Amino acid sequence: MGVLKINGKETVFEENKIPATIEDLLKSLGVESATVIAELDGQIVERAKFPTTELRDGQAIELVRFVPGG
Amino acid sequence: MDKLIIANKEFNSRLLIGTGKFSSSKVMAEAVEASGAQIVTVALRRVDITDKNDDMLAAIDRDKYLLLPNTSGARTADEAVRLSRLTRAATGINWVKLEVTPDPYYLLPDPVETLKAAEILVKEGFIVLPYINADPILSKRLQDVGTATVMPLGSPIGSNQGIKARAAIEIIIEQANVPVVVDAGLGLPSHAAEAMEMGADAVLINTAIATAAEPVKMAVGFKLAVEAGRIAYLSGAADQSKRASASSPLTGFLRNE
Repeated sequence: MGVLKINGKETVFEENKIPATIEDLLKSLGVESATVIAELDGQIVERAKFPTTELRDGQAIELVRFVPGG
Repeated sequence: MDKLIIANKEFNSRLLIGTGKFSSSKVMAEAVEASGAQIVTVALRRVDITDKNDDMLAAIDRDKYLLLPNTSGARTADEAVRLSRLTRAATGINWVKLEVTPDPYYLLPDPVETLKAAEILVKEGFIVLPYINADPILSKRLQDVGTATVMPLGSPIGSNQGIKARAAIEIIIEQANVPVVVDAGLGLPSHAAEAMEMGADAVLINTAIATAAEPVKMAVGFKLAVEAGRIAYLSGAADQSKRASASSPLTGFLRNE
């Protein structure tokens, strides 16, 4: 079993089923990566590095984007 | 109309528009277009991973408008700085509407935390547009640390009460050496015109447009009011007096006296 904390919520994956990279995670969530900003364990990850940034059990990832606001 | 210049960047419109509270992204995009605004505020929030249609801002052309990310939701300087860094690292946008609002009821900005965050962000190369109470001394302190504007509130965010802090905003305008943008609380085009007539450099409107029955029309109303107010300011207002002063000649009446 593996766990990723996604936007503050612990998400459980079966053994070896944690998405390999941020890009894979976004694909599995059905989220368009072009507008997403990611922070992995408190470190900002540039969008260009989404396909090469590997995910490991126990990490915390924040996925944010621009939303309407004043 | 004369150009608005913020941080050496020229804008043809003196109306900044917020994108919150619109009924749909289509209405939002149409209202933004109709307003003529070139600076458009947005917020940064967690992606709703349960909603495939979460990206409301896809309708905004990012080449056409300057997206101005705000730090809404930040309650401390540290939170505001974190949001700003995150945004810049991911998008390259180094403009930030700095807002630090620990009080959820009136959403009034925290002057101490705002100044602290502004100082850090300016040093890191951000172009900082701070949302503040109408406090002339705070305005000076922010200009001293290098903010690109000051943005005093007319009245609490989203309240549509108009300019309640007129006397203090007048002092801010008189003393400012950066553009003054009246932000928050302007509920009608007449409020926006009032701010511009007072000599504000620009206004920022969101709720009054977004929650109008017809947001696109209201956006036009604000556009015209901002232009009218600016023209009035540049024209030099005529004197007020208590007594009447006839506009027509007081001689040659058709009666015998």
